[in-house]
Amino acid sequence: MSGGNLIVMEKRPITLHINGCDIDVLIEPRKLLSDVIREDARLTGTHVGCEHGVCGACTILIDGRPQRSCLTFAIQAQGKTLSTIEGVVGEDGGYTALQQAMHEEHGLQCGFCTPGIIVTFEAYLKNNPDPTEDEIRDVLSGNLCRCTGYQNIIRAIKKAAAMIRVDVGGA
Amino acid sequence: MLNKTAFSSIGKRQPRSEDYRLLTGRGRYIDDIDISGALHACFVRSPYAHARILSIDGADAEDLPGVVGVFTGNDLSQWTTKLRMAPPIEGVKPLEMTTLPIDKVLFHGDLVACIVAEDRYLAEDAMELVDIDYEPLPPITDMFKALEDDSFLIDETLGTNLISQQSFATPDVHRIMSNGDKVIESTFSEHRQTHLPIETRGIIAQWDAGCEHLTVHVGNQATHPYRSALAARLRISESQLTVISPDVGGGFGQKIALYREELTVAALARYLNQPVRWREDRMENLMAASHAREDWVRTRTVVEADGRLKAMSLEIVEDFGGYCFYPANYLARVIAMILSGPYKLQHYAYDVKVVLTNKCGNGPMRAPMAITSWIMDGTIDNIARELGMDPVEVRRINMIREDEFPYQMATGETLEDINPFETMEKGLALIGYEKLRKQQKADQEQGIYRGIGICNVVESTTYGSKFYKSAGIPGSGHEAAWVRVEPSGAIIASVGISATGQGYETAFAQTVAEGLGVNAEDVSVQLGNTDVAPYGMGSRGARGGTAGGGTAYLAGQDAQKKVLAIAAKMLGLNTDEQLSMKGGKVWRRLDEDWSDTKLTLADVARIAYLDPTNLPQGMEPGIQIHKTYDPPSMTYSNSTHFCQVVVDVKTGAVCIERYLIVENCGTVINPLIVEGQQHGATIMGLSGTLFEQVIYDENGQNLTGSLADYLIPTATEVPDLEIVHMNTANKRTPAGIKGMAEGGVMGAIGALSNSVSDALLPFGIVIDKHPISPNVLRTLLREKE
Ligand code: FES
Ligand code: FES
Repeated sequence: MSGGNLIVMEKRPITLHINGCDIDVLIEPRKLLSDVIREDARLTGTHVGCEHGVCGACTILIDGRPQRSCLTFAIQAQGKTLSTIEGVVGEDGGYTALQQAMHEEHGLQCGFCTPGIIVTFEAYLKNNPDPTEDEIRDVLSGNLCRCTGYQNIIRAIKKAAAMIRVDVGGA
Repeated sequence: MLNKTAFSSIGKRQPRSEDYRLLTGRGRYIDDIDISGALHACFVRSPYAHARILSIDGADAEDLPGVVGVFTGNDLSQWTTKLRMAPPIEGVKPLEMTTLPIDKVLFHGDLVACIVAEDRYLAEDAMELVDIDYEPLPPITDMFKALEDDSFLIDETLGTNLISQQSFATPDVHRIMSNGDKVIESTFSEHRQTHLPIETRGIIAQWDAGCEHLTVHVGNQATHPYRSALAARLRISESQLTVISPDVGGGFGQKIALYREELTVAALARYLNQPVRWREDRMENLMAASHAREDWVRTRTVVEADGRLKAMSLEIVEDFGGYCFYPANYLARVIAMILSGPYKLQHYAYDVKVVLTNKCGNGPMRAPMAITSWIMDGTIDNIARELGMDPVEVRRINMIREDEFPYQMATGETLEDINPFETMEKGLALIGYEKLRKQQKADQEQGIYRGIGICNVVESTTYGSKFYKSAGIPGSGHEAAWVRVEPSGAIIASVGISATGQGYETAFAQTVAEGLGVNAEDVSVQLGNTDVAPYGMGSRGARGGTAGGGTAYLAGQDAQKKVLAIAAKMLGLNTDEQLSMKGGKVWRRLDEDWSDTKLTLADVARIAYLDPTNLPQGMEPGIQIHKTYDPPSMTYSNSTHFCQVVVDVKTGAVCIERYLIVENCGTVINPLIVEGQQHGATIMGLSGTLFEQVIYDENGQNLTGSLADYLIPTATEVPDLEIVHMNTANKRTPAGIKGMAEGGVMGAIGALSNSVSDALLPFGIVIDKHPISPNVLRTLLREKE
């Protein structure tokens, strides 16, 4: 009958290392990393589509590996290196190869799933510069897109891989 | 050189101008918008499918620090009016709906109370402390049982659960149907689905007490009609309300209506005199936003010995759920009106029933008439099986040929400027139909069950006001646009349509540019704000191209007319007849050649705004064009979908080996965007047919409240689509645009279902319901083994 069993949590100061910056926030320990990134760090490019780990829209890199930020508490991310879509920037401050290819191949419509996909494949293509279509589909299966039917996203990823290979080969 | 006839901006495969912000994480969706001091709303929802609310006690919740209040239906009824859905349509019963339920809940997930707190986590904590007493009532979860005489009633005031019924018959149809010919019966049924935009619903409402003005940020496809509805329900003037739809993470028809949650939040922002925001969670979105489809259909057909259709009747029963956010005839009746599609049929009758049940209310989902093409081509396949004919032959003999257009359907609708015979024949050649049939036979002997499914689609794309009237749907089909050339020559345009991912900013820039004679990159298109955009009817159906792009094109043309009149004066000419704009410059024709006059749009704009005494006599200063346009009654696009599958009879798995679409969608504004829409629509159709399903158990409990239960395909489950264009222009619309973006769903449902039936022909199995899951197929196969 009373609110006695609900513990209103004390806020705690923590520091998150996001996109190369230290960001101090004051948060409840139960607050999800996705919410802290969006609301406290004000990096709203990371989207929330389900909050139960299925859609992949909230994907960020934690210590270089794609992870769902809706499945972690922010407090667990202290001391880790986080990177979000806002940290994905091409060499001259413009598009990366993947962003460029997504643009050219129309790999996005509403764009809500897009940051999760870009973050995932920026990391993937670094380690797998020459993926097969099946491998691309397999990795992409962690991100739901309701608009595109995936065909143009796959085309864009293939194109980006080729662009990156040329770049690396030429350097 | 300047070519006066060919388009220069329309038809360009131009990557989208929207992309930059979306690719770099700088999009602004509802939840990205920071409003300081905003309170958070969350909703307490019914655990029952059908129950009386006896009492609501929010005292404990209100005691929780940070909770501002718990608000109920009674509270909201002080600040808002009821929705009365009572369109003047024969056969549709009037319904009333309060902002929040007061004494009865009608589905699992229905609204009971709204909690407002300082943050979202707190609001959710408080939810557990609201004490509600319910008296459960018998749930009605089956539309056929809902129609029985002794059924419990969803709305006692109606005296029935049959919310809408319409029928139609041509004079001779019943006589022909009953003169002794064999009647071929076919049934089709779609299961319940939901739109599932990856961004859920959400709203932020801010009341400015000084100006007595409400500003609402909400993801919405039709911001002006939404503003009209919201203002009326809040009893304020439309002039006191601004609706802003920023970037929207998908809509698919779910983001058109004014929902009760949104109205509640808006009313509370005003009452509390503090901004209030709400972000729907995924479970709410799956269970309680809006559902779609769920119908049962039967056709009865009599044919000549050669397969020619003599007469046909259609029955539809649709399960509409518990609430009507749209007139109940809105979805199903269009199916009945356009059913015969590309086939000749003059003797026809229909009966369309819409039923209330204890489920989430239905609304239009990308291709509300999606089942149409499956019904028609599925019926044709049944006729072919009955007569032992090739399904293609039955299609050929019934199809409307080039010289028979315009063709008036039995319902009075006129088809023109389409080429279904050509798209089908082209596709048949491309897939090598004859050879494929031989291969199919040979494979069958090896135990490989391959199927070929064909679906001819006639897609109703742009609904003009005349069609709405004849379909008995309230509303208008017109659209509005403005184009302004500012003193510097900068070009800004707007249309009363808001985007949910369709690339309208790019496409409309292309049509404005075409009309005005400038480069599309130089046109800035501003959408989704009712203070900026003209009053238009929004994004729905496939009206974006013809209504939106078309009106913008006409406004661009008018702007060009004014520019040229000014330019003629500047050049010392008596007339502008020999002038034209291209690339933002004024060109002049001398004999057959066009030459650059060196006058630019900026030069002309400067005179228009800053030196108006130099304008032609009587001309108003400035270059600001406002245009409205009502499209023809209906525009149609057409396509033929081919789906080739192999069914593994041991596991029930369906593998799509090849998928081909031959499409005629008129003048294409931007091929890149159009292809994207075709992909999205077709995959949505395949997905609905194979995977998606909202499941209610017999108690009306929704069992599909997470993305682990409600399945949509991932990249590993979708085929690549081949698309071939055979576009012809519409002769009546601006630039010949027809519209598209829903036909893919229609074709996919039909082609896939027909292909699985074709594969399973040796077992005598005909697919008449969805989803075609391995489980369902195995059950059907077991019955035959
Ligand atoms: S929001 Fe994290 S996976 Fe969907
Ligand atoms: S682009 Fe809309 S969900 Fe992927």
